[in-house]
Amino acid sequence: MKDLAVRLAALDADAGAALRVIAYFDGLVENKAGLQAIVRGAAVLAGCPARLDDRSRRVHVRVDPAGHAAPDPSAADERWMRTPVVPDASATLWLERIGEPGPVEAMILERAAGAARAVLDRTRGRAPAADPALAELIVDASAPAEVRRQAATSMRLSESDRFRAVALPSGPRVLPAETTPETAGRAGVGPAVGPLDLPASYAAARVALRFAADGTAEDPGPQVVRHEDLGGLALLADLPESAEMPDLRALEHAAAAGPWVLSTLHAFAEASSLRAAATALRLHHSSFQDRITQAEHLLGWPIRDPHGRLRLQLALALRRLRRHPPV
Amino acid sequence: MTTTLPPPPFDPELGAALTALADLIPPSLDGDLLTAMRSGSALAVPTEEELSRGGTFRVEERTVPGLGDDPDITLLICTPAAPTGTLGCVYHTHGGGMVLGDRRLGVVEMLDWAEQFDLVVVSVEYRLAPETPHPGPIDDCYAGLLWTAEHADELGFDRSRMIVAGGSAGGGLTAALALRARDQNGPELLGQMLIYPMLDDRNDTPSARQMAGLGVWDRNANEFGWTALLGDARGGPDVSPYAAPARATDLGGLPPAFIDVGSAETFRDEDVAYASRIWQAGGRAELHVWPGGFHGFDGLAPTAQLSHDAREARVRWLNRLFNG
Repeated sequence: MKDLAVRLAALDADAGAALRVIAYFDGLVENKAGLQAIVRGAAVLAGCPARLDDRSRRVHVRVDPAGHAAPDPSAADERWMRTPVVPDASATLWLERIGEPGPVEAMILERAAGAARAVLDRTRGRAPAADPALAELIVDASAPAEVRRQAATSMRLSESDRFRAVALPSGPRVLPAETTPETAGRAGVGPAVGPLDLPASYAAARVALRFAADGTAEDPGPQVVRHEDLGGLALLADLPESAEMPDLRALEHAAAAGPWVLSTLHAFAEASSLRAAATALRLHHSSFQDRITQAEHLLGWPIRDPHGRLRLQLALALRRLRRHPPV
Repeated sequence: MTTTLPPPPFDPELGAALTALADLIPPSLDGDLLTAMRSGSALAVPTEEELSRGGTFRVEERTVPGLGDDPDITLLICTPAAPTGTLGCVYHTHGGGMVLGDRRLGVVEMLDWAEQFDLVVVSVEYRLAPETPHPGPIDDCYAGLLWTAEHADELGFDRSRMIVAGGSAGGGLTAALALRARDQNGPELLGQMLIYPMLDDRNDTPSARQMAGLGVWDRNANEFGWTALLGDARGGPDVSPYAAPARATDLGGLPPAFIDVGSAETFRDEDVAYASRIWQAGGRAELHVWPGGFHGFDGLAPTAQLSHDAREARVRWLNRLFNG
């Protein structure tokens, strides 16, 4: 049988090669392959030595193109092709080849790095910055500053760098300022701050989380909300739970008329124009107009003028706050 | 027993290689696919230049008589150009399910051994099924073995350092050669290397059933291969052990055997059973079952860790055999 490397060499630069690279690394992830298997895949498919260095976990894996482990204590050459494995670049995957990666090499780097990230998280413990216990400590305003400083050290968060606290339904996370949370569910993101100010960032993140929707028909809206994008809306979160709000009652009444109501109102409130809202819902412009007219009737106020639209946006925000009480 | 057993998982690297090459490596085989594979390039064989390894080997082909009235057969012979010690010989029968392949298939690994252990490599071009059913293929292999042993002096090797080796269908033929040489006072063999050998035409072990439709050379492909060789006799009461060595009732008095096989392939159980029966008959065998290996894994994914390990195990056995 012709082997994998031979097949790929023959297919180099061809779309088929990229698909096989993807299939190979997907297969490694699916089969829970280890780091060496992933680095070996990169080396064999690229036809040059590949290495993975993770300073924070003290991992060094290097494999030659024949698939043999070949650790090399000398430092990586900065001119080699590479990609960060984790966002803070503490772990890097290298192909020991100088120059700009071609399409197949770029695909190998990207896919191998993705596979390696999954393994590092699974087998070597999560990255310190993602350690849940430490994250809870560093966002805890009641913890003494000295304790939080120690937590920052353990998490390798430099005091000169900026981070964001992220509120998930399951608890806090801490991310470098420029990254966005990768989560399958709701998340609130606090402002970028130094590590010792993370409690304030987390308080804001928790507010933002209440404005994050499930993204379902029942609860349409964005799943990830940044506190700094809320503006004055954030103040609504301070309203007492029991506050009487007629517009919210009207909105719930309208929503009960059918699942189309909320999706229509949400699309209308978010979109820049009626036409854009209709497109978002894949509806014809005139059918969307009909729906809006019907929704206005159910709500009891016109929503096509600026004031009515603001009332609608507030009512939708209040509804989300009611659905997601503070935790 | 009709219960479907869950298959053992593939080794992660091997499973990934299989995924990446899924469209090129069908688990099963039929007549149309056979025609396509015979004319295509699914089975890569080395060129003359690759065989010579830059002059390391003298490469020649000899036409030698078949058995009885059979047509002549071709032997590929690669002789070390500058041996460092007494030459031995590895007589090789290629794989390909009895229906595919030629004398160059699988020879690359033989040359690796030949370089390390000073061996003449002789690889036989036997006629394939279904065009040539049993006993044509094994007769050709045996004729080539007899000729090789008789011409040891001419080929320059020491007759006491001769082994037989082959993978897959070639492993089955290798096992059959060892049985036949024992039964018919044929050449004395130092060892038999059975690489995931195809041994049992009954094709009904738990591993054959477990791996149906999966991996490489599944139960259907195996049935296709055996039926090509044996026709209606396949699985019946009258199959010769020279066609299907698992049918041998006596596995005593055989040369030392090396047997390897993947845990996730059709041949697992018949190969494990063959090793067990050699031990039970008071013989010598070394058995390796590679976890999560599919059929021919070291050929398809030669750089995988398991493939390195499998090849190294063969070399360690050869080292004990030739240098022990």
